[in-house]
This record gives sequence, structure tokens and C-alpha cells, in this order.
Amino acid sequence: MKKNRILLLMGVLLVAAMIISACTATSGDIQQAVEQVAPTLQAAAQEVAPTLQAAAQEVAPTLEAAVQEVAPTVAAAATQVAGGSESSFEPMVVAAPDCDYGGLFKEIAAIDELTVQFSMCAPDPAFPSKAAFSPFAILPSEYLESTGGSGELLEHPIGTGPYMFQNWSRGEELVMVKNPNYWGDAANADTLVFRWQTESAARLLELQSGTVDGIDNPAPDDFATIANDPNLQILDRAALNVFYVGMNNKFAPFDNEKVRQAIAMGIDRQRIVDHFYPPGSEVASHFTPCVIPNGCAGEEWYEFNPEAARALLAEAGFPDGFETEIAYRDVVRGYLPDPNIVAQDIQAQLAENLNIKATINVMESGAFLEASDAGRLTGLHLLGWGADYPDMTNFLDYHFGAGASDQFGAKFPDLTKILSEAASLSTDEARAPLYEQANNLIKQYVPMVPVAHGGSGAAYLATVKNAHVSPLGNEMFASMDSGKDSFVWMQNAEPISLYCADETDGESLRACEQMTESLLAYEIGGTAVKPSLATACTANEDLTVWTCNLREGITFHDGSALDANDVVMSYVVQWDAANPLHVGNTGAFSYFSALWGGFLNAPPSEE
Amino acid sequence: MSTMPEPTPIATLPPLDDAGAGDISDYRANSLWRLTMRRLFRQRSAVVGFILLVILVGSAIFAPIIAPYNPEQPLIGIENVTKRQGPCIHLLGCPPDKPQHIMGVDGNFRDVFSRIIYGTRISLSVGLLTVSFAVLVGTFLGAISGYAGGLIDNIIMRVLDVVLAFPFLLLAIAIVSVLGPGLTNAMLAIAVISIPTYARVTRASVLSVREMDFIEASRALGASSRQILFGRILPNALPPLIVVATLGIATAILDTAALSFIGLGAQPPTPEWGSMLAIERNQVFSAPHLVFFPGLAIMFTVLAFNLLGDGLRDALDPRLVHGSGAAKE
Repeated sequence: MKKNRILLLMGVLLVAAMIISACTATSGDIQQAVEQVAPTLQAAAQEVAPTLQAAAQEVAPTLEAAVQEVAPTVAAAATQVAGGSESSFEPMVVAAPDCDYGGLFKEIAAIDELTVQFSMCAPDPAFPSKAAFSPFAILPSEYLESTGGSGELLEHPIGTGPYMFQNWSRGEELVMVKNPNYWGDAANADTLVFRWQTESAARLLELQSGTVDGIDNPAPDDFATIANDPNLQILDRAALNVFYVGMNNKFAPFDNEKVRQAIAMGIDRQRIVDHFYPPGSEVASHFTPCVIPNGCAGEEWYEFNPEAARALLAEAGFPDGFETEIAYRDVVRGYLPDPNIVAQDIQAQLAENLNIKATINVMESGAFLEASDAGRLTGLHLLGWGADYPDMTNFLDYHFGAGASDQFGAKFPDLTKILSEAASLSTDEARAPLYEQANNLIKQYVPMVPVAHGGSGAAYLATVKNAHVSPLGNEMFASMDSGKDSFVWMQNAEPISLYCADETDGESLRACEQMTESLLAYEIGGTAVKPSLATACTANEDLTVWTCNLREGITFHDGSALDANDVVMSYVVQWDAANPLHVGNTGAFSYFSALWGGFLNAPPSEE
Repeated sequence: MSTMPEPTPIATLPPLDDAGAGDISDYRANSLWRLTMRRLFRQRSAVVGFILLVILVGSAIFAPIIAPYNPEQPLIGIENVTKRQGPCIHLLGCPPDKPQHIMGVDGNFRDVFSRIIYGTRISLSVGLLTVSFAVLVGTFLGAISGYAGGLIDNIIMRVLDVVLAFPFLLLAIAIVSVLGPGLTNAMLAIAVISIPTYARVTRASVLSVREMDFIEASRALGASSRQILFGRILPNALPPLIVVATLGIATAILDTAALSFIGLGAQPPTPEWGSMLAIERNQVFSAPHLVFFPGLAIMFTVLAFNLLGDGLRDALDPRLVHGSGAAKE
């Protein structure tokens, strides 16, 4: 041992000696080099001097002017800093040059640290409902900037909610921990775990064995089993959704209105609801459920009439039917509790009633949504919609409005006009005649066939207190109490990303909603809007300017304080397509475009 | 006197005894195949497999007669049945006023028994077609490879080794994903993937047969390479191939069911057993008959081919040729 130490010491000494000698050698070299270069440098300096002087003289007045201009602002800021209030807050303002870009926002401005003002191009009575929606959650502006609007942002949300992100093992689970500094009622469980399982039988097994505290969407056939089990409770979710058979009018033969009408008449929707939906479901008389104000204005949907449908199809030039495809994703949603079975029944009905031979194409969920949004599904597609907020705009504008995707192909100008007109009216009574027209137009054009408003449910262990289901699908687990340190929730699928501004999938939104918050919020288990980050959002008389006052003393999970600029930034990165942070997961920001009319600086469309 | 024997052709002569009369090739065929059959049917397990197979083939051929319903027809509004109703057999006490469904009704109100019967057609044809394709291509490649040797052998076998290096089902999934889901594509994928197995078996037996004396004799008599390979070597290299192919049918059926289960094989409403299992997999507790019967059907079909294949292997085992005939192990 001793020998080793001595050897080590000698080694260190040797190395030190080498370094010292190297340094002295170098310093000598440098001195030499400087002496060599000096004359050249001097000559160069003499040469440059006149030019530099001239440049300085030229710049001087401009500089002086600039200084004079800035001086008052600096002085004001200095006094502010000295006074100790409004420390270094520079209100952020983003405005559209005019309203011709087609969207609703004209300007989003921070007035002071706790006040944000949204100026609209048209009256927007649905503003509070939209502002409460989770894609418009407020994130720290610094965090948005540091992530560049993507990457880490998709995996690790920083918000203000009752739970904070801890860990997301892709494919396994998402773990959140209680936010100790939450401004509202603190969460009951210390840890919230999200797990997922596409098989309803497996979800139920997990609940029965007690490894999870709650599951989403039990299979229709299992409702009775759960109700009869004293250890479990089942809660019915109101049917605030719609399941439809979509068609894209850009592809033959669906470019023919008569073909679409024939399909509308040729599917026995009652049979589907009676046999494949749980209790609490109803046949869709309109695209929107009747619970939503004006939802059922206008004529009821076509009666099932196979003879008339066949005649119409013959008139359209397809007396012997045609071949097509039924695309869907094998994912259970409240609006579609048994996708495979329903798809096969529709397939059988089309063959029997209309002689339409449809092949079934089961697609991966993300790919299916992407293809349908981009208008690439050439045949029929099975999709649905769950309400995000209980307003007609959430259903009709998203699907058929000017900002809607290409899901159903070319838009119908008269329909989009009526919808934007209706959206700008302030009361449901005033909107009624317009929505009556809109619903009638939808019936005439048949961009899709609304089939059902599906009842669904969630099941919990009987010991879970405050268990609830939300008609909007945003259950708040912070308020539930399982009596344990952790609460485990099992849903149908894994979140796609956790930057919900760029997600439309309910499974992603529900996860985001535990961690991030919007200006306003929906009441737990209901649809009414209540204050959240903003104590109130008030409008001017004609509903074109909405002013939101932020709650004081709210901090984000990273410790930074919430201010008006965070609000402006969170909206602007979605609104302004030219913003460098307008990146997201796919960059679609579908909700923003659909609900607020469109993007600022949107790139010219490809058509 | 001299005209007496001449007009009588040899073929019309009554065979005096099988072993002695006829030409040489007749003699060989009779002895080998008859012996094999005799040995095969002496094994009880092979007989069970054969009987199962006869039943399966029978139900595939006579499906329209056996099946009481159209396998793709939902019975909504046609009969008073409930969704995923359990089996109702009149003989076992099901009330006679209820329609009889031996294996119950599925989630789309279709008769499961009819679907299982029609499914036999699909599974058997899948098994036979894929294996025939793979055997044809595999044998050809293997024979050429084994007979030619050298560079050709090396090239063919290395390419096939690459195919073999991939996990079987994974490669099938990859192929189907590229070609698009569907029964035909699934069959093609499985056939392509099975080629190396048959090529290797053929090559191995070609290699051993090629060195035998009678090949040497043929060559000395001036037979061409083609004649020797396809006329002499291949027929003698067949026995191991038959065994592997019979067992391969079972694997092919199982793999097709697996591909259908993950949605890449038969598409609804085709009554394919794997897809029937897949669609009702969530009802394993609430309506077990919907997964039990298709599962059972797959099992019996695979079992039939496996038993028969095992029996054939024992029957064709050259070590038992001079023995008592029955496999003892």
C-alpha cells in the first residue's frame, strides 16, 4: 500500500513538473509571437483609424436621438422599480392587422399584471364556455419559450392544477403528485396514477380486483354486473355526444347528394341503438343532442325507409349499389361502446338495404383521426363527438363551420355563413331561427348520418367518495377520495401528448385537466362555467371585448407566478401560425382553429 | 400357335401377384405407399387425427347443408334472439319454442354454429393453399440448391437464411402491413415465410439421396441432370417433406388465426375463427361461448394435422421400414 502511495505521489509530481515546463515554454512563445505581430498590427490600426472616425461621426446624431427617445421610458421604469409595484412587467400585446383573416380574435392584450383583454372581431357569447376548455389552458410563457413549443412541452406539462406532473412511462402509466401550493381545494390523494387498457373486460377485471379505483367506459353488457356488485358503483354519463357515419363529398360516389341521402335513409339507426347501445342512449334526431340549447331545432332526421333509399340510389345512378369501405378505429368511446359490432351491423345493413358492399378497415386511432381530419378517407367512416362545452358552436362549428377540417370534404357556403352568423348572436332565442336553418341544411346535405347519442358510464370502487362522471368527460380526480394515498384511474387509451392545445383526444384532455387550468372552468360533474384562474371574465355590451381578471398569488408548478403575459402567450402561440412556438405535436391546433375561427398568419391553403 | 400370346397386351393380364408383376416403378409405389398407409393406420393417434380431418373436410364441403343459418346474416328482426345469447339445444332442455342455436348467437346476432362450420372452409383452404404454395416454391429452390451445390446453393440458402432470421409472426405482420390487411395477403405472407423450411428439408434429403448408388447408375445410363433431379432424386426425397408439410398446415392455420386476431387477416364479416375470437374477446366472462367455440375449432383442426403429421413421420421413418410397422415410441 505504502509503495503504491509513493509511486502515486511521484507520478503526480512528474505530471505537475511537465505542466509547469509546458506553460513556461508557451508563455515564451507567445511573447515572441506578439513582438513579431506588433508592427503589422500598428500599421493596420493607422489604416483603419480615419474610417472609424468618420463612422462614429455619422452614427452620433442617431444615437443621441435614440437615447433621448428611450430616456423617459427608462426613467418611468426606474421610478416604478423604485416604487416597488409592477416590477418590470411589460404587458404583451398581439393584434391582428385587421379581421379579414377570418378568425374571431382581433387583439389579445395584457392590460396589467392581472388583467387580460380579448378584443373580438365579432360578438362572442360563447367566450366563457370556450375559455374554460382545457386546450386553452394557461402555461408559463417562459416554459413555452424554453421548450420551443414542442419536445419537452409534449411530455412534461407545467400548469397550475391540483396535481403536478411526476413521470410518464410511455405504454405503462402516468404519475402525478399533489400540488402543495394549489390555490384551491387541495387534492385528496397524494398521488394520482393514470393507466390505460383498451379491452373493457380487462378494465373491469382490474377494478374488480381492486388494483384501480375507477375505470372508464365499461362494456354495455357489463353495466348490470357492476350494478349488482356491492363492492363497485357505476355512474351513468349523460349522452352529451353523437356517433355518426361520415362521408367525404370529394370522393365519388359520395360527391352525389342523393347517394348521401340514400345512405341516410338506408341505415336503421333504431336497430343499432336498441341492440348495441347501453340504456340511456337515444337515436340521434339531429347532429346535436337535444339537451344543448337549440340542439334539436329544425326538422328531424330521415326516417328509415329502405325502399325510398334504394329508389334514390337508383336515381343517382347506382341501382345495383357500389363498393366502398367503412373505416374506423377500434377504440371505445362514450358515443361508440362497441365499435367492431356496430361497424359490422352497418356493413350488414348497407349490404341488405342498399346493396352497398363495404369492406371494413380498422385503423390505428391516431392515424385514423389524422386521415379523417385531412380528408383522406374515401369511403364511410365511423366517428363521434363528445361535447367539450354545451353549446351549438362546439358541435356544428367544429364540424361544419368555416374553420372545420376537411373531414367531410368541401364545405357548404350557406351553412358556414349561417353558423358564423349564429355564433355571433348573444342569446339562444336570437340564435334559434339560424340553428333551425343550419340543422335543416345539414339534413339536406348529409355530410354525415348522425346515428346515436350514446349513454356511457364510469365505474368506481364503492369506497370512493365524491365519485362522479362528467358529461364532458373531464372527471376531476383531485376531489375524489379513495381513502388511500394514491388514486388509480384506468381509461381506454394512453394520452397522445400532454400539450393539450394540440390534442383533440378526450383521453389526452382528461390527463391534462388534472395538471393544467384554463381561465375559467366547468363545474365538477356538470357543464356550468365557474371561475378558475380568472376570478371573472366580463364582456362589454356588444360582447366584442372580454376582460378577464386573474386571481392573485397563483404560482405554476415550477414556482413562477401567473401573470397576464402567460395568458397572452398561451393563446398567441396557438393563434399566430407564424409564431415560432406554434409547433405542438402535429401543429394542427384543431380546437383553436375550429372554436376561434382560424389562425392569424395562416399559410395559404394548398387548394 | 405363334399367334396365341402376341395380341394379349401385358396390361390386361390379370395380376398374378402384386409383388411379382408389373413394371419396376409400379412395384416401388405399391410397396412404399401401401406400407406407409398400413403403418399409419396402425397408430391410434394417427387414426384419430385422420377421423378428425375427415369430419373437418366433410363439414367444409357440405357447409351449406350442415349450417342452419347464413353465417353472415344478422338475425335481428328475423328471429327472436338476444344479443350474445348462450347455446340453446332442444335435446338438452332448451324450450322448443325458442330457436335452436347449438353454439349460441354472437354480438351481431349471427348463429355461431353456422359461422364455425363455414370457418372450416376458410381454415382448411388457408392451410392447404399456403402450404402447397410454400412446398412448391420451397421444394424447387431446395432441390436446385441441393443438387447444384456450390455458388448457387450458397446464394439460395443464404437468402433463405435471412428470411429465417426474422421471427416468424413478426415478418408475417410486416408483409401484411405492406400489402394491406386481408385474407389473401395473410396467406401470401405465411406462405412466403414458410418457404425456407421446405427448401431446407428438401435440400437436406436431396443431398443424401444424390449420393446413392441408383443415382450413380442413372447417371451412368446417360440420364440428364433434369431427369435425375426431378425423376429420380425428388421422388425419393419426398417422405420427410410430406411430414413437414402436414405439420406445416397446422402451423399455417394457427398463424392465419393469429393474424386475423390482430386484425390483419380475414376481415369481417368473414367467419374466420381468429377474427371471431378477436371481435368477441371482451366477452370472455359475460358470453364465454363466443370465444370458447372458435378456440375449440382452431384447437381440433390443429390437433388433427399434428396427429396425422406425427403418424406420418413414424410411418415414413426409414428405421422402421423393416420392423413390425407400428411406431413404438
